[in-house]
Amino acid sequence: MSDEYDNNKTYQAQSSETMGGSAPASPDMDYVRPAEIPDQELYHGHSFITKWVFCQDAKVIGVQYFLTAVFTGVVGLILSWLMRLQLGFPGAAGFMTAEHYYQFVTMHGMIMVVYFLTALFLGGFGNYLIPLMVGARDMVFPYVNMISFWMFFIAVAVLMASFFVPGGPTGAGWTLYPPQTILPGTPGAGMGILLMLVSLSLFVIGFTMGGLNYLITILQARTRGMTLMRMPLTVWGIFTATVLAMLAFPALLVSAIMMTLDKILGTSFFMPTIIQAGEVLDYGGGSPILFQHLFWFFGHPEVYIVALPAFGIVSDLISVHSRKNIFGYRMMVWAIVGIGALSFFVWAHHMYVSGMNPWFGFFFATTTLIIAVPTAMKVYNWILTLWRGNIRLNTVMLWCLGFIVTFVNGGITGIFLGNVSVDVPLSDTYFVIAHFHMVMGIAPLMVIMGAVYHWFPLVSGKFLDEKLGKWHFWFTFLGAYSIYFPMHYLGFIGVPRRYFEMYDSPYMTSAVGMNEFISMAAFIVGAAQFILIYNIIKTLKVGKKAGHNPWKANSLEWLTSTVPPEHGNFGERLPVVHRWPYDFSVPGAKEDYITQTTPPSEVVHTEVEKT
Amino acid sequence: MSDPKIEGLQLKPGFRGMADDTGSDQTMFKGVHWGKAMMWIFLLSDTFVFSCFLISYMKGRGSTLVDWPYPSEVFALHVGGVSVPLLLIAIMTFVLITSSGTMALAVKYGYEKNRKMCGWLVLATALGGLTFVGMQAFEWSKLIEEGVRPWENPFGAAQFGSFFFMITGFHGTHVSIGVIFLFIYAYKVFAGHYENGGKRGWFTTMKGDYVEIEILGLYWHFVDLVWVFIFAFFYLW
Amino acid sequence: MVKAEKKEQSASTHKIGIYMWIWGLLFVLSFFSYMVDWYNFQGMLRWSLILFFMFLKAGLIMAFFMHLFWERYALVNVLLWPMTAIACFIFLMVAEFEYTLFSRAFYFVVGGGA
Repeated sequence: MSDEYDNNKTYQAQSSETMGGSAPASPDMDYVRPAEIPDQELYHGHSFITKWVFCQDAKVIGVQYFLTAVFTGVVGLILSWLMRLQLGFPGAAGFMTAEHYYQFVTMHGMIMVVYFLTALFLGGFGNYLIPLMVGARDMVFPYVNMISFWMFFIAVAVLMASFFVPGGPTGAGWTLYPPQTILPGTPGAGMGILLMLVSLSLFVIGFTMGGLNYLITILQARTRGMTLMRMPLTVWGIFTATVLAMLAFPALLVSAIMMTLDKILGTSFFMPTIIQAGEVLDYGGGSPILFQHLFWFFGHPEVYIVALPAFGIVSDLISVHSRKNIFGYRMMVWAIVGIGALSFFVWAHHMYVSGMNPWFGFFFATTTLIIAVPTAMKVYNWILTLWRGNIRLNTVMLWCLGFIVTFVNGGITGIFLGNVSVDVPLSDTYFVIAHFHMVMGIAPLMVIMGAVYHWFPLVSGKFLDEKLGKWHFWFTFLGAYSIYFPMHYLGFIGVPRRYFEMYDSPYMTSAVGMNEFISMAAFIVGAAQFILIYNIIKTLKVGKKAGHNPWKANSLEWLTSTVPPEHGNFGERLPVVHRWPYDFSVPGAKEDYITQTTPPSEVVHTEVEKT
Repeated sequence: MSDPKIEGLQLKPGFRGMADDTGSDQTMFKGVHWGKAMMWIFLLSDTFVFSCFLISYMKGRGSTLVDWPYPSEVFALHVGGVSVPLLLIAIMTFVLITSSGTMALAVKYGYEKNRKMCGWLVLATALGGLTFVGMQAFEWSKLIEEGVRPWENPFGAAQFGSFFFMITGFHGTHVSIGVIFLFIYAYKVFAGHYENGGKRGWFTTMKGDYVEIEILGLYWHFVDLVWVFIFAFFYLW
Repeated sequence: MVKAEKKEQSASTHKIGIYMWIWGLLFVLSFFSYMVDWYNFQGMLRWSLILFFMFLKAGLIMAFFMHLFWERYALVNVLLWPMTAIACFIFLMVAEFEYTLFSRAFYFVVGGGA
C-alpha cells in the first residue's frame, strides 16, 4: 500500500519558501506504481437500441434500474394508500375485500423490500457509482451487466402480471409462509403465488449477474492508487451489501424452488399433514419451519442489503455537506464489514414465536444484540462528523439528518424486539410494523432522497430545486413520523398486524382515532413524493446549470472529463488517486477540499490525513 | 498459480502477502484474471445454493417419523441375477472424475498453447459429461419405473423422492449447462479463437484467451465437487 | 485486460505428473468410499469414513484441479471464510431437526402431555 511511496505522512510547513508555492517538493513524492492491467476497451453502441435499450454502459444501466425500481415503488406506494384507506376508514373503498387487502399487503411488502429498495440501491446507485467512484471505465463485464438489468425487468413484468391473472396476486404475506401460501383459501394460491416465485427466481438470477460485476469491479478494476481503504464509504456499503446478496439470495432461490415443487408437483418439503374442510390433503411429513429458516437466512441479510448502502451513502453525504472528514473512517469500514458478517448469524430472531427449538432464542438474542454494537458505532461517528462541522443546511443535509433520527428510532425498537421475552408479547403487533418501517423503510428512503438531490447534478448537469426539495423533505419527514410513531403505541396496546379490520374488538374503540390520523398522514406523505417527480421534470426543463463538481466534493465521480460523464467516464487518461475522499477543511490548504487526484506535491504545506 | 510478476510490487507469501494484497491498489487478487475471480465468486454463491439444498435434505431426513429408504438397496443394479449395490452410481462417479481429470489437463495444455491437445481434452470432457447425464437419465427412468415419484415412493418416506429428484435434477442441470459450454469451447479452441492474441467476441470488445478454458474448468470441477457431496450424503449415508 | 495474463501463463503450468497423481488418488478414494457401502459398515464408523473420504476428495479437487493450492491467500481466504455461515447453518439445523423429531414423536406418537 504505502510501501511504495511515503507521501502520506503529515507534511508540516517545511520552510517558508514552500508556503503558498506550487513547486513540487520532490519528484518521487507523487509516485504511484504503474497499471497492472491494460485499459479496458469498451463496446460503444452505435444505434438507438445499443445505446439506450440494450446498453452496456453501467451508467445507463444504473438509470434503467433506477427508473424501473421507482416504477415498482410507486405501485407499492399506491398499494399502501389502499391499505391505509381500509385501516383508517373501514369500508370506505367499496371494492376492498379481505382478500384484496391481503394481496395488497403482500405485494406492498415484497415490492418495497426486493424490487424497490434492493434494486434501487444495488442496481441503481451501484451501477452508476461503482465504476465512477473506483476509477474504472465501466463494469468488468458490461455485457452480463446489461443482461442483469433485463432479467430484473422481466422479473418485474412477471410480478406485475400477477395482478392480472385469475385469482390475482398472492395474499400470503410477504414472508410467503407455508403451508397457507399454497393452499386453497389463501388469495392468489393458484397462479399468483407461482408468478411470485418465478419472479423471485428471475430476480435472483439477474441480480447474481449484476452482483458479480459490482464485486469484481471493486476488487479487480480499481484505478492506480485506489486502495480499498481509500474508497468512499458509498462503495464500501454497496460492496458489502452485494456480498451479502450473493450469499443470501441462494437461500431465497432454494426456498422458491422447493415451494414451486410443493405447489405444482405435490411434493411435501414444507407441507405437513393437513385436514382442510374435513378432507385430508395429499401432503404430509414436511416441515413449515424449514421454510422459515431458509427464508430468514435470506431475509435477515436482506435487511442489511438495504441498510448498508444507505449507511455508506449517508456517510459520504454528511461528510461532503458538513465540510469535514468522516469521523473514524476505518471504524466505519470495519463496522460495515462486521455488520455484514454478523447478519448471517442472527436470522432466527424473526422466528421467536414460530415453534422452533426453544434454545435458539438464547443464541439468536445474543448475536442480535451484538450486532447493535457496530451499528451504534456508526451512529456516533455520523454525529461526530457533524460535530463542529461547517454544516450546509441544504436539502441533502436535511435528508441525512432525517435519516439519523429515524434510524436511531428504528434501531432502538430493534433492540426491544431482539430480546425474546420482550418480543413474544410484541410480535405480530403494530410495534413490529413501526420498527421495520422506521429502520429499513423510512431511514433508507431518506438516504435515497438525499442521494438523489446530491447526485442529480452529476447525472443531469442541473441542480434540483432547493425550495421544492425542502417542502418535499418536511412533508416526508414529519409525515413519516406521524405515521409510524403512533404505531408503536398501537403495538403496545396489542393491535395485531395483518388484520383486515378490527370489527368490534377493544382495539377498534381505542385505536380508531389514531388509525384515522395515521391514514391521513399516509395519504399526505405519499402525495408529497410526487413533489420530487415534479421537481425532476421541472429541473430537466429549466433547472440551474450545475457545472463541474458543484458540491466541491473530493471523490472521483465528480472529476470526470464531462458532466454528465460520457461512456468511459474519464476521457483519455484514468485518474490517479493519492488520498482518501475526505480531505475537507484541511488546515493550510488553499480551498476547503482536496480532491482524491490532487498529488501530494501540491499540498505539501497542509496537514492531510495519512491514508 | 504460482505468484505472478507485477511491476513495482514485491509479492509476499502467506498471510503477510494477503494483508499486502488486500491493502494494495488496483487489484486484490494479484495476477488473477477478472473472469476467473468472477467465476470463483459465482461458485461461492452456487455453493450456498447447494448447501441450502443439502441442509434442507438433512432437516427433512432427520426429522421424519417414517423410515427413510435404504439407498444401498434402492440404487442397486441387478447384474446377472445378483444385486450389486450402487453399481450405476459408482460408474457415474468414475465417469465424472475421469472428465474432471481430462478438464484439468485441458487447462494445462491450454496454458501451454497446445491447441490440438487442449481441444481434444475439452471435447473428451464434454463427452464424459454427456455420458454422465445419459446415465442419470437412465437412473431416473429406472426409479420412476419402480414407482418412485417426487411426491411418493414405495420404499418409505415421501420426502426421499422429493429430495432425490430435486437435488440430482439441479446437479444434472448444472452438468448439462456445463456440457453445452464444453462443446462450444471445444469448437472455439479448435477454431483458434484463442490463438494470435485472440478473437473478439460478439457485441463486446474482449478478446479470447486460454484463461477462458481455466474459467470453464473451474465450473466443471465445481460440478464434480458437488457430486462428491451428493454421493456421500445421498447414496452412502 | 486479457493481455495481462501473458505474464502469468509462463509460470502457471504444472508438471503433468501432479495431475495424474491427484486423478489416481481420486479414483482410489472413490473406490474406498464405495467399499464403505460394500462392506456394509454401520454407525459411527460408516459416518466418519464417509465424511473423511468426502472431505479428502473435495479438498484434492479444490486444491489441485481448481488450483487453489497455488493461489494467493487473499483469494483462498475470501472463498473459505463464508463457509462459517454454512457451518453455523448446518449446526443449528441439526439441533432443529432433533427438536422437530422430538416434538413429532412426543405429540404424534406418544400423544402429547394430555
